[in-house]
Amino acid sequence: MIDARTNRRRLVVAVLAIFAIVIVFSIRLVDIQVVRADSLKTVAGTNFRTDTLWGTRGSIVDANGTVLATSVDRFNITAAPVNVHPAGFERRVEVDGTRKLVRVSVMEALQEISDITGADVQEMYTALTRDPDAQWALLVKGIKLDAFRAVVALRIPWIYSEPQPARSYPNGAIAGNLVGLMGTDGPLSGTEYRWNECLASHNGQVSYAVSEDGVRMPGSEVVETPAVDGGTVHLTIDADLQWYTQQALAEQGTAIGADWGTAFVVDVKTGKIRAAADWPTVDPNDLNSAGADDSGARSFTAPYEPGSTIKTATVAALLDAGKISADTRFTIPSGYTIPGVGFTIRDSVLHGGGLRYTTAGVLVESSNIGIAQMTELMSLEERIRYLHAFGFGNGTTGADFLGEDEGFVRPAPSDPITSVTQQFGQGMTATSAQVASLYQTIANGGVRMPLTLVEGCEKPDGSYTDVPDGEGTRVVSEYAADTTMRILEGVTTQYHLARVLAVPGYRIAAKSGTAEVADGDGYGSERIVSIAGAFPVDDPQFAIVVTFAKPVTMRTSAAAAPTFNAIVKQVIKTYRVTPSTEPAPENPLTW
Amino acid sequence: MSAAPALRIAQPAETSETPTRHLDIAPTRAQRRARPRVYAALVAVGGIIVILLAQLLMSIVLADGAYRITSLQREYRDLAREQNAAQERLAQLSSTQSLIDNATALGMVSSGNPMFLDVATGQAYGTVAGPRGQTVGAGGNLIGNALLDGTTMLDPAAIAGARSAEVLAGTAPTPADGGNVTRTGVTPERETGGALPSPTTR
Repeated sequence: MIDARTNRRRLVVAVLAIFAIVIVFSIRLVDIQVVRADSLKTVAGTNFRTDTLWGTRGSIVDANGTVLATSVDRFNITAAPVNVHPAGFERRVEVDGTRKLVRVSVMEALQEISDITGADVQEMYTALTRDPDAQWALLVKGIKLDAFRAVVALRIPWIYSEPQPARSYPNGAIAGNLVGLMGTDGPLSGTEYRWNECLASHNGQVSYAVSEDGVRMPGSEVVETPAVDGGTVHLTIDADLQWYTQQALAEQGTAIGADWGTAFVVDVKTGKIRAAADWPTVDPNDLNSAGADDSGARSFTAPYEPGSTIKTATVAALLDAGKISADTRFTIPSGYTIPGVGFTIRDSVLHGGGLRYTTAGVLVESSNIGIAQMTELMSLEERIRYLHAFGFGNGTTGADFLGEDEGFVRPAPSDPITSVTQQFGQGMTATSAQVASLYQTIANGGVRMPLTLVEGCEKPDGSYTDVPDGEGTRVVSEYAADTTMRILEGVTTQYHLARVLAVPGYRIAAKSGTAEVADGDGYGSERIVSIAGAFPVDDPQFAIVVTFAKPVTMRTSAAAAPTFNAIVKQVIKTYRVTPSTEPAPENPLTW
Repeated sequence: MSAAPALRIAQPAETSETPTRHLDIAPTRAQRRARPRVYAALVAVGGIIVILLAQLLMSIVLADGAYRITSLQREYRDLAREQNAAQERLAQLSSTQSLIDNATALGMVSSGNPMFLDVATGQAYGTVAGPRGQTVGAGGNLIGNALLDGTTMLDPAAIAGARSAEVLAGTAPTPADGGNVTRTGVTPERETGGALPSPTTR
């Protein structure tokens, strides 16, 4: 019986003990969950930190991988004004092997930062004292790693830092016109803007609990969103050739006092742009390095009346339609009066008339009168159709450059004057890119390839989004294109600029252009001068266009000729174009 | 507590015996089976202690690892930053403008008419002609680069020093032994003794 009672007592004690424990736990639970909930939440919150995982914006590189635009690490130095003690702080320093405390005042600390970063002490002091209770104040923006480390090494207790990824253009103004600009809030222009989808990175976030001494608690990390790096945009250009063309434009442009200049080098068979130069060019590192008008790419966005370089399209169209051949005879009078309006077209070099030119002679000697005579051989609609087919006033070149212009060709029924003059490049407009596209077409046997500036986008995971090679479209027959090329060779062998344009050993086709520039009231004395061409004639590989606007000292295409010649030579060296093996055939200009 | 039913079963046996003789209760099979439960309890308690100890050790190791991870992550970040900074410097040094400025400072000039030499046949292609027309780059670089702050320029004194050291050591070619006086290469020129592949020209 005693045993039974003992057992029961044990049971009661056990049950009571369990109840007691449950009650103690419950009280504790209520205490934690309800009574002290707020204060505990605050403590937990401060120990739980969220960091930004920085994604890196992608680079823009040339055809050989030379970096034109890239992201670099920069750091902002910030401060917590609330932690700044007016009396300064004590720094532990070791002098001659003995440690001692040195008091550093606020101004002294700021002076130390200034010595490293070059920031203004007064400005930093103002930022620091504007709101003494603030947790955050920006002291210095965007400093490099070595300066950042030096500032950290000062061990100023109220100094903090934050990464500030920045954009850098290691090659400066080389291809600055194509790369474009980045503002503080994102891309502003050029490839940076057009290809932002490929280049853009996305920052991620990671949250984790930290111990009191700032160490991550193991297993507490929660990656809310991982950072995504941007992709690399591969351009088709060659940075060295791009520099050369820009430099050539800058030298000659300065020498002749031009307003601006453009130059193109295009791979004839693929339509890939190897150089697209603008002068002046902005250095994307320094937005103030060029005026607003010069900070883009005129070569794509600024149409102008191109002048005689368009005669090539007229002759090729008439050859294609079978209306003329290379040796069709024309007798050139001293002027061509447009029927009905009494407007007389003259050649740039005045002559008494009676010149006996072949088709080749009209094109090589660049006779406006001869071209005007040729327009009688083809209807206006047909002529406009050919100009459109060459890409003028009809869509862009395919390079898909931001803000690319389509140019303008007056549609039929046109006014009688423009319907004639647009066949030699007056009264119509085109961009340098479109003129380059014309010479690419002629050099490529009459097949127009869309120009390409971007090869593709390479994502950080290695996947490559290729820009599809454009489909070529036939504009004129191979016979028409090849005949035109052969005629144009005369410009580097028989024309008065031949001596300047020719490169010994190479067969080069070229066409001069000296266009009148329209101002408020008709055409003034300003000119836009250009040389466009392609080489080698026996196996065309590169089309080249050089244009200068409004030169002062020399207002003919002779101003552009030395630059064209220099660029041809550089292209030969860059792409190891071997000399032509066959001599140029006969190209009679007169009869 | 678990022994209670066993005892109750044993009770009838106790009353049937005479009280004068002291007899030990022979443990029943159930009792015998119940006895190892003490060991089980010991094992359980011991197990709990071991688990607690292991947990303690593990958290010590984890905490230690956390510090290590944090320091390694910091080191990784610092090294990555250093790599980026070095790459940035490299890009600056290898920029076209920096190369041109240095090449010009060393007295290098751009070539004129393009000429090719076929290494296989030793035949030259192209027409020999001096520089003519626009010599691009002759007047110095005109294409700006705001990143260049002059720190990418080679120190002319250092080059001169390196060359005079070579002259003293007798390794530099001198005009007397047919060396080209106009050579001003950055890399010290040495006689390669035919180590470089060169075409046999005929």
